[in-house]
Amino acid sequence: MKISEEVLNNISSLSKIKIDEDIKPKLIEDLESILLMVEKMNKIDTSKIEPMSHPLDEANNLREDIAMHEIKRDNYQKSAPQTEDGFYLTPKVIE
Amino acid sequence: MKDLTNLSLLEQIDGLNSKEFSSVEITSSYIEKIEEQNKILNCFISLNENALEEAKKSDSKIAKNKANTMEGIPIAHKDIFCIKDQKTTCGSKMLENFISPYSSTVYEKLFNSGTVNLGKTNMDEFAMGSSNETSFYGNVLNPIDHERVPGGSSGGSAAAVAARLCSFATGTDTGGSIRQPAAFCGITGIKPTYGRVSRWGMIAFASSLDQGGIFANSALDAAIALENISGFDKKDSTSLNKKVPSFFNEASSTNKDHIVGIPRSIIENIKDSEVKNNFYDSVEILEKSGIKTKEIDLKNIEFSLPVYYVIAPAECSANLSRYDGVRFGHRCENPKNLEDLYARSRAEGFGEEVKKRILIGTYCLSAGYYDAYYIKAQKVRNLIKESFVNAFKEVSSVMMPTTANVSFKQNSIQDPVEMYEQDIYTIPANLAGLPAISIPSGKINNLPLGIQFIGNYLNEGNILNLSNLFQQNTNFHNE
Repeated sequence: MKISEEVLNNISSLSKIKIDEDIKPKLIEDLESILLMVEKMNKIDTSKIEPMSHPLDEANNLREDIAMHEIKRDNYQKSAPQTEDGFYLTPKVIE
Repeated sequence: MKDLTNLSLLEQIDGLNSKEFSSVEITSSYIEKIEEQNKILNCFISLNENALEEAKKSDSKIAKNKANTMEGIPIAHKDIFCIKDQKTTCGSKMLENFISPYSSTVYEKLFNSGTVNLGKTNMDEFAMGSSNETSFYGNVLNPIDHERVPGGSSGGSAAAVAARLCSFATGTDTGGSIRQPAAFCGITGIKPTYGRVSRWGMIAFASSLDQGGIFANSALDAAIALENISGFDKKDSTSLNKKVPSFFNEASSTNKDHIVGIPRSIIENIKDSEVKNNFYDSVEILEKSGIKTKEIDLKNIEFSLPVYYVIAPAECSANLSRYDGVRFGHRCENPKNLEDLYARSRAEGFGEEVKKRILIGTYCLSAGYYDAYYIKAQKVRNLIKESFVNAFKEVSSVMMPTTANVSFKQNSIQDPVEMYEQDIYTIPANLAGLPAISIPSGKINNLPLGIQFIGNYLNEGNILNLSNLFQQNTNFHNE
């Protein structure tokens, strides 16, 4: 699969990672070589096979639906880049 | 006085309980060695300043006969395991200043079993790498040959155990990140069945593949340590609610009731003749000690690498979306708007390999490509799992080399696919969720090599037992 600059810009925007212009050619080359390796799996016929999302057949464990108070906001916000009065600060979203 | 750092875990536990030596003594011996060698090897990202305090507490528990199973044993944790109020970087600039608000279950369990934490070990950034060259905190050197890599991603833990800078260490294995570095550093490394060890507080890379495990100097030591981190955890939705047997008893039993499967086509295709010879020599050692082997066919295993490089990046692109520069982690300077804050914080905080994998994963999950890549990979994954399920109808374990080569020189592999091929023999066990162990099987030009046993679901005891039998008949793990 060839990756055009347009496709690269699209996945850069979807993944919210800014990509500098100067590294784009090398990055496209690397991504294409990874996809070329990945596409070897197309050799297998999987028309009658179910997709497997999890290594075990067991269902997920769910907790009882009981309110818990394990999270202390102040403690969790200690690592935040910017907070005020218990809120996370970001640049203005609405102009 | 004898060197306490050269004792096995079992000897250390016995020596501490019989008060032959104290935890403060053994902890000090390791700290001294770390101070001297970490400058060169770079296997620790941070050291625990309270290690000696923890050792003193252990000594007083031992004095009061209140010792836990591994009271006073000094260990190291891969820096992917959160420890409350301590720095957890995951090898990334993104988490350079992250102080965890809670502890991982693996850490809690080892703390509760009495271990002393010496520090957090270096690793490939977010566990993505096979050489420990993607860490923001610098390369780790292989203690056996400083020009070479220790393997990855748990390279710091592997190097620390191999250099005897801790009794054992924790690691994680998504595609081989315990077994490959164990092989490169000449030690024992085990990844249990998916779900055996809780993923709570273990920073996520690819959640359907990630599994915590152990680096140790022998299968018996690994068995003791693994037993102490295994078990159901309600905080992990994919944790297995299954009884944990005594892995130590299972590993040390004299049972020889094994049928070891040799996947013929995989072995025939080993490119390096010395690796192939080493494998056949290892088979011979097993057979001479009375163990049955049987040739088997493992179909579609050759597609493991392509499948892995869709599923792991896809899951990583979702998991790593949490690093947004808002709630925790790196934030760029002077963001123009929210979009700019996300895009630049992530561009600056993540290294090149991590970004590459997020981009591949995003591509495979994006509209128009989802079925062709992600669903296709999930279907082939099912076929790979089925091959193992069929194999285990005939054999009790499957034997393969751990790696296709011995450790390579730092910065010698630049091509991403060539680097990914480092994990061709380790990835299948992750895709199927099976337990697997790597043990030393000899040396090529003085560099260690490993063989791998893959066990059936929940049968860690079987492969530990087989490894122990191999180690009773060889001395590679003590060289």
